[in-house]
Amino acid sequence: MATVTIDNKQYEFEGRPLLLQFCTDRGIEIPHFCYHPSMSVPANCRQCLVKAGTPAVDRATRQPKLDEEGNPVIQYFPKLMTSCSMEITDGMVVHTHRSSELVERAQKDNLEFLLVNHPLDCPICDQAGHCPLQIQAYKYGPEGSRFEFEKVHKPKHIKLGPRVMLDGERCINCTRCTRFTAEVSGSHQLTIIERGVNNFPMTPPGVEFDEPYSMNVIDICPVGALTSIDFRFKARIWEMSSAPSITATNAKGSNCFYWVKNNEVLKITARQNTEVNDYWLPDEDREGYQRFNDDRPHGPSGKTDGGMRPMSWEESYAAAVDVLETADPARVLFVGSPHATVEDNYLLSKLAGHLGADTPVYLEHTVPGSGDNWLITDDKTPNASGCERLGFNAADVPLLRSKIQAGGYDVIYVLEDDPVSSGLFDSNVDAKVILHYYNTTNATLAAASVAFPAAMIVETVGTYVNVDGHAQRVRPAKAVKGVNRTLQMEMGKSRLDQHGTPFDKWYDETKLVDCKPGWEIIPEVAKGLGLELSYRGPKQIMEEVSTALPSFTGATYESMGLVGVRLSDTPTLV
Amino acid sequence: MATNNGAQFNRHPEPTFSSDQLVFTSDEKSAMQGYLEMYPEPEGAIMRGLWLAQEKFGFLPPEVIRLVADELGIPYARAYGVATFYTQYFKQKKGTYVLDVCTCFSCQVCGGYDILHYLEDKLGIKAGETSEDGLFTIQEAECLGACGSAPMLQITNGRYVHNLTESKVDSLVSDLKDGKMPAFESVTLPQDETEMGGNRRDDVESLEYYKTPPVAETFE
Repeated sequence: MATVTIDNKQYEFEGRPLLLQFCTDRGIEIPHFCYHPSMSVPANCRQCLVKAGTPAVDRATRQPKLDEEGNPVIQYFPKLMTSCSMEITDGMVVHTHRSSELVERAQKDNLEFLLVNHPLDCPICDQAGHCPLQIQAYKYGPEGSRFEFEKVHKPKHIKLGPRVMLDGERCINCTRCTRFTAEVSGSHQLTIIERGVNNFPMTPPGVEFDEPYSMNVIDICPVGALTSIDFRFKARIWEMSSAPSITATNAKGSNCFYWVKNNEVLKITARQNTEVNDYWLPDEDREGYQRFNDDRPHGPSGKTDGGMRPMSWEESYAAAVDVLETADPARVLFVGSPHATVEDNYLLSKLAGHLGADTPVYLEHTVPGSGDNWLITDDKTPNASGCERLGFNAADVPLLRSKIQAGGYDVIYVLEDDPVSSGLFDSNVDAKVILHYYNTTNATLAAASVAFPAAMIVETVGTYVNVDGHAQRVRPAKAVKGVNRTLQMEMGKSRLDQHGTPFDKWYDETKLVDCKPGWEIIPEVAKGLGLELSYRGPKQIMEEVSTALPSFTGATYESMGLVGVRLSDTPTLV
Repeated sequence: MATNNGAQFNRHPEPTFSSDQLVFTSDEKSAMQGYLEMYPEPEGAIMRGLWLAQEKFGFLPPEVIRLVADELGIPYARAYGVATFYTQYFKQKKGTYVLDVCTCFSCQVCGGYDILHYLEDKLGIKAGETSEDGLFTIQEAECLGACGSAPMLQITNGRYVHNLTESKVDSLVSDLKDGKMPAFESVTLPQDETEMGGNRRDDVESLEYYKTPPVAETFE
């Protein structure tokens, strides 16, 4: 096995790995800016310098030269090497800043150069706190600057496109953004213009940086040069908590972080998952987070003689039980949801089965032609695949609509969807409607007899199956009413969550939405109907699903972890 | 530089040339095709392509850069990045004579800025500007590779004028006003005196010999 010695420690390797990636994979940190594992290696930031050498070979005998003690003589490269672009060869000896003062000095000097024209406006910069330049200048950089002259001025706060803002002065010209548009998204909308100290990334004249993946450059920018127009100045990174989860905008289920401050989602950023979305997230996944914050209901409501009125949770369960227990099971329609988790849909199907009603159907939400065969799909829901695997069929809307209009159903139980907007029935429908809903803009609310506010993807625990059959967990990012962030062990916490108190000024209790996830509501309703669904939580539900249904084999919470599990393509069997 | 001011930074300038003007003749197109065949990647042909377009249109506004990129089948952004990198590609309309005064290290030490400022005062324009009669544009250039005969300047991406003095600038400007381009000067370096018989070139007669350059007034 070929070996490489890094900081006097031997490592084995196969193939010809790049030194920087090899070290990063083993937790040996080497400062860098321009290197990104899924793009080409320009080696232009010069920050990852190391001292490297290979065993010297005697030219006459072609044998390795040995010193008096029999150790190979190492012939060092005359200059320090950029570890990002250097392939490891057998017997190579590498010294990072940990074992070479020269390297340490080179990295420090390089950072001094990078900072010469950097405005150092960290106090007003959105990137501050998670800025590779800030962090690495702090760790590896000089203590001060010797540059006492006026810095070069470049365009600031330029809107490159509808979503991305440029601050040219902060740029260190790592070219990650231009390489992204050239190599990953292929839009070729960005280039580095001008030369020397004057250069910065820009669109060519007449071009807007408006591609559907433009906001990824904000994630990969190692400084604050590219920031989100939407998120600018809204919150500092340390005020927010982040929860590793998946997006719900389409059927790809791209991995993301939800960033939350004071129980409001403020931004969504990409999370690496090579099985699903690599490092990238389409802009449509990042936008539209307002639906998690705005128009959220407060507590359940139900229809009485005087119209809709707020109810307590117990009242609303009883109202739903009233509606369901008197109905003829053959005349009850259960509508599952591609927005809801597998767990919630599974409980709904158990409830339907208990009553003797048909297997739930689900409503499709596809926009044909809007997909791009990458991270944007035609299907605009996160869990249609999960519904299919549970044995639900997509509703034939015109057929079902005519049956509902003909009075074919007395009760329609809708899980986390909006069938009135989808045209399944009208708001003046005769059947009684039990509705789990996310937003008060839901058009089906007008038809509902009982309305349960439901926890959205950012507030619940559960499983989603993406278009490729990849089962992934979601984790709560926002607390709902009755959930304590510090007790909910899975919830991401910010510094304020951990070290602040509810009496701090930033804390606002009205931002806690009074809603419950389906796996809390459905068992309560089922209990009233004589069905005991006493699970300790979604984890236990998923354990049952993964053993009971072959289409979910292996999809336990342990195995899904943070990256999910690819389910086998077995046909759905229920 | 105009681009250095954020407030004035215009990302979407009005086009100078109409779509009728933005066409290459079949000769030019075949020249472009020839450039493409010279390099393994189409990107390689961009510099020759831009040069051809500059010769044709006089300068390279964005619409011309786009035309070249489309002709060569490479991304417009890439072509634009290359065009802005090199000062020899003119992104704005310039005067008949573009005087690139070198102010890089060697010329700076030997009075590059003295010459630049003298020229600015003489023509009444600042570096980067064009005189009202459209005859002269002054630019501040980085090293043009003639440190041995500093300070120096270059006329419109072509002829070098070496060992500049104020009187030499005076005669240069009046000559150019009369339409007289200065003659080519082959400047020898000290080592040429012995090794090459005092002349690197055998195709020119006019020779200027290496002199110890003056020290700039502004340099201490």
